[in-house]
Amino acid sequence: MRPSRLQRDLERELAYHLTERIDELQESGMTQAQAARVARRQFGNFSTQLERTRDMNINVWLEAIVRNLRFGVRALTKTPAFTVTVVLTLALGIGANSAVFSAIYAVLLRPLPFPDAGELVTLAQSQPTIPDPFVAPVRLEEWQRFNSTLQAITGYYSEDASETSGELPEKLKRALVAPRFLQVLGVAPALGRNFTPQEERFGGPNAVLISYRLWQRRFGGSPLAVGRTLRVSAFSYSVVGVMPASFHFPDSDVDLWSPSPPDAPYAQSREATWFTAIGRLKPGTSLAEARTNLAAVQFNLGRQFPKTDANKSVSIVPLKESTVGGIRRSLWLLFGSVSLLLLIACTNIAALLLSRATARQHETSIRFSLGASRGTVTAQLLTEVLILAVAGALVGLFLAAASSQVFRTLAKDLPRVDEIGLNGSIVMYSLACAVAVTLLCGVIPIGLGRTRNLTGTLARGGRAHVSGRNPVQFMMVGIQVALAAILLAGAGLLLRSFEELGHVSAGFDPLHVLTFHISNTWAEAGGKPAKQRTERILDGLRSVPGVEAAATAMSLPGVPSQYEIELKTTEGRAESEPKMLAQGRWVTPEYFAAMHIPILAGQWCRDELNVSTAMINRSFANLFLNGSAAVGRHLVQPSNPNLSPAEIRGIVGDVREMGLDREPPPTVYWCTGAMQPGTFFLLRVPGEPGSLAGTIRRKIHELEPLRSVYDLTPLTAHISDAYAENRLRTILLAFFAVTAIALAGIGLYGTLSYLVHLRRREVALRMALGALRVDVLRQFVDQGLRVAWWGCVAGLPLAAAFARMLSSMLFGVSATDVVTLGRVVFIVLAVSVMASLAPAIRASRFEPMQALREE
Amino acid sequence: MGKKKNDILQGTLALLILKTLACGKRMHGYAITGYIQRVSAQSLRVEEGSLYPALHRMEQDGWVRAEWGKTEKNRDARFYSLTARGRKQLMQEKESWRRFTAGVARVIRYA
Repeated sequence: MRPSRLQRDLERELAYHLTERIDELQESGMTQAQAARVARRQFGNFSTQLERTRDMNINVWLEAIVRNLRFGVRALTKTPAFTVTVVLTLALGIGANSAVFSAIYAVLLRPLPFPDAGELVTLAQSQPTIPDPFVAPVRLEEWQRFNSTLQAITGYYSEDASETSGELPEKLKRALVAPRFLQVLGVAPALGRNFTPQEERFGGPNAVLISYRLWQRRFGGSPLAVGRTLRVSAFSYSVVGVMPASFHFPDSDVDLWSPSPPDAPYAQSREATWFTAIGRLKPGTSLAEARTNLAAVQFNLGRQFPKTDANKSVSIVPLKESTVGGIRRSLWLLFGSVSLLLLIACTNIAALLLSRATARQHETSIRFSLGASRGTVTAQLLTEVLILAVAGALVGLFLAAASSQVFRTLAKDLPRVDEIGLNGSIVMYSLACAVAVTLLCGVIPIGLGRTRNLTGTLARGGRAHVSGRNPVQFMMVGIQVALAAILLAGAGLLLRSFEELGHVSAGFDPLHVLTFHISNTWAEAGGKPAKQRTERILDGLRSVPGVEAAATAMSLPGVPSQYEIELKTTEGRAESEPKMLAQGRWVTPEYFAAMHIPILAGQWCRDELNVSTAMINRSFANLFLNGSAAVGRHLVQPSNPNLSPAEIRGIVGDVREMGLDREPPPTVYWCTGAMQPGTFFLLRVPGEPGSLAGTIRRKIHELEPLRSVYDLTPLTAHISDAYAENRLRTILLAFFAVTAIALAGIGLYGTLSYLVHLRRREVALRMALGALRVDVLRQFVDQGLRVAWWGCVAGLPLAAAFARMLSSMLFGVSATDVVTLGRVVFIVLAVSVMASLAPAIRASRFEPMQALREE
Repeated sequence: MGKKKNDILQGTLALLILKTLACGKRMHGYAITGYIQRVSAQSLRVEEGSLYPALHRMEQDGWVRAEWGKTEKNRDARFYSLTARGRKQLMQEKESWRRFTAGVARVIRYA
């Protein structure tokens, strides 16, 4: 719009000029035609005229950009070492930043992969003392019926199953889902259909939806798969549909979905909770409205069923929050760290650019004197930086692309880790980083260039001169050191925590223990047969040569797990005594032998047919039952009246049952084990646990041919995986910190080298006058150390603030740990000595005569 | 077109235009060329090829203001007048011109 109006104006204006000129010429006696010809000739080419004037408005800009780019590329190729250094530094800075951002984007920012995923919520029934993440099927159906704020509520639980229609039993993970499962998630099968109401009812036809993965693996992706039959744990199911490849709910390793009928007789107890409930809010309904609504629904249920429902309330959180909320802090921590790293890289490059600008002062002065405007020179400088930054960002993208593999390797259990990858948003982010870097890096040298006296520079004619003491360059090195110190301190504290975790006295011996699962469904769980089957399997395992002890447990010691129960003794306790709250564990009697847990009082329990027995740990005995007097008393769970009172047979040592990073809780071990889905088998073996895997597989196949053995893993690997997030952030932060201090070291080296180069005449002169080489050496090393020292002084308070943010992630070390901070100072000073030595040595080796003769 | 002797020295055109407009009258491009030639007693000739780009650049820089109007012969023409910023610029250009000529004069005298 603007150019065309401008052009019209211009044409009219020039046309007017031409008419006046023709008039004038005619007045001096020419004919109209002659006058027109002459005027036109004098006027020059009309259209060139037009263009020349118009160009100023539009093309000038474009042309300037192209010219700047061309000039920039030329200038950069003339100094390849500088260019490569900067591009690589930026690639590292921007790449690492984009990599962490890609994780944040995939895990935290992007909605879950369902339509209108913001409407999805997780529901749980909670009680004042006992948070129960699971919901009873009857209650779920009532919530569904009486609420008015959710489109639908459904639930699921999963179990491991053996599929036996193939040659060998194959372990599959199956999700059992309440009605409305796909409706809530808003996903339709890619092939086939959803469950029919008949299939969702008890006694209806057995139907199963299969995963895309299983479809490919078992049926070769054939459309004929729908209608085929799978044999899962003694029942036949017909395949009614195939889910899309992108559907991974509730887990990425679920291969089967089948209905869990809410009208089944076993699902009618209000105490039987097993569903993880999810729901979809009605459009436009807020979380608060849903909470109020469900609270009212549950309040009415409480009046109807006072015994079971009066104390219960409903908690609702967004599904995304319950999926990824736990790792938010770690990811933002990493993002903050990697942004500090980028800042260091920027400062480093700004310092390099500043040195380059000084070296090019003469060139710049000439350009100014030839009439280049301030703006032109600035644009030129910024363009050069932009070329570097974009090149850095592009190389960095490779790093970011590779990083998704790093995340998957370091923390495979990270929620949504499969979704991390490169996409348009990450590319845009990298380019935005490049622009930010350009402004950040470019502003300092340009700002300084502004104050420079041009004529002064020209007058000096580019002769080498000592440019004062370079306070700006050293300040920038100091900033880098300070930022690096922050990262070093953070990494140091996390590393110390990690170390502490390894040295913790856990109360059991995790080495030489092999763990595995045996496939099993909920339908077979519980009761005498399950108990006998478990005993039979354990006896069989004990007969394998090399197995020293065999046991089962519902959870693994040292791996975070939480099962809090309230207990009473049948012998009674005074009302004034504290409530007995403890962690409940279900183990077979050989658990203690297999874990090397010592007995302190009483005797070992045995799994007896008619009597329930239990062991308690020292904390429980001391806290609630006056120590060893506890042996022989009986424990009951008020919330589970079906369990018969268990006699306390003995007291064992304290074990970190809730995770290595938590103090041992008061614990009660019920000495009974009937295998259910998820039961761990634990074997103590003499050597490397993995070496026995094949033997164990064969043995189980011999004992239980229809069951599959899976997840044969040393206990230590489970513990290590449980702290994968911890490991991820520790390793990455350590990597960032090392990179940061390396960059700061390079920055110091570069600045000192430049200084040595500038002052070579002065140094040579001093040496000619008798200064010792060692004095010169010390002078420059001192200068480097001084900068590093000030960097430390500035960095440590910031590091302390950073450490406070970390404090919830630390273990066994305080945020202001003097040893760690001391080490940080030591590392920084050591690195700066190393960085200073090379230039200092170069300075001390100057041949005075040669350096002076150069002038 | 060959280069003529009385072409205006690069960079002084702006000064001449500003000075021309400084009398306060609104003038169109044609009138400006005429004025400069007349006042300089035909020794300076404004090239149309430089005049209009210069005028537009000055307009962009805010030294002059332009508006359409009618000439005595009732023709449409673009009239230029000086802005406050242009007036300031004129002072500066005058000053640097004085320095330049003084410098040149000195060189001629002593070199």
